[in-house]
Amino acid sequence: MSEKRKYKKRYCKYCEAKVDFMDYKDVASLRFSLSERYKIMPRRLTGNCKRHQDMITTVIKRARAAALIPYTVTRKAVVTAPYENLK
Amino acid sequence: MRHYENLVIVKPTLTAEEIQSIIAGVEEIITSNGGEIAARDAMGMRKLAYPINKNERGYFHVVYYTVAPSAISEIERRFRINEELLRFVTIKYDTNREVKAWNQQVEKANKAASTPAKEEAAPAEAAAAE
Repeated sequence: MSEKRKYKKRYCKYCEAKVDFMDYKDVASLRFSLSERYKIMPRRLTGNCKRHQDMITTVIKRARAAALIPYTVTRKAVVTAPYENLK
Repeated sequence: MRHYENLVIVKPTLTAEEIQSIIAGVEEIITSNGGEIAARDAMGMRKLAYPINKNERGYFHVVYYTVAPSAISEIERRFRINEELLRFVTIKYDTNREVKAWNQQVEKANKAASTPAKEEAAPAEAAAAE
């Protein structure tokens, strides 16, 4: 239900919150733009504007390099509790 | 001078003192190349999102510093030689907006570094009061 609502409204969540800078270490804030398999969600589904989508893309790629979020989630390499690090 | 941030992941198999000495070595590399460390943020031992060199965990440490752009290649070269570092991520804060964010993060890290002592003291007082 919450998933469905996420795609219906078409506005940029980050513009509304007036986000100027995203921190790659803050994994909880990246959750919105990641799919269940940790892919970057497309703009047509999240409603992000181009500027914030570009920002989130670089931030997610940095977080991947820093081993904070996985590159891929396959059946072999399952992340058992992906957000257990979060406080 | 430009603003930078470096995240290093240290091997989890070392003892606490060895990890501290390696982090001191990392900071020494930065300062010896003309860098000025503004803040440090120890994220501590965390589970890695994917295994690096067969390690499932790692000790995360973040250093905020300013240094001349030409020194970065030397700093990264020295990091690569160090076998105890699983991974390092260097972030450049270039535009005015990013520098502002850098200042905020430095402030936050310094605040976090000074508050834990207070937090530890407060529960002790509360326990004493009970």
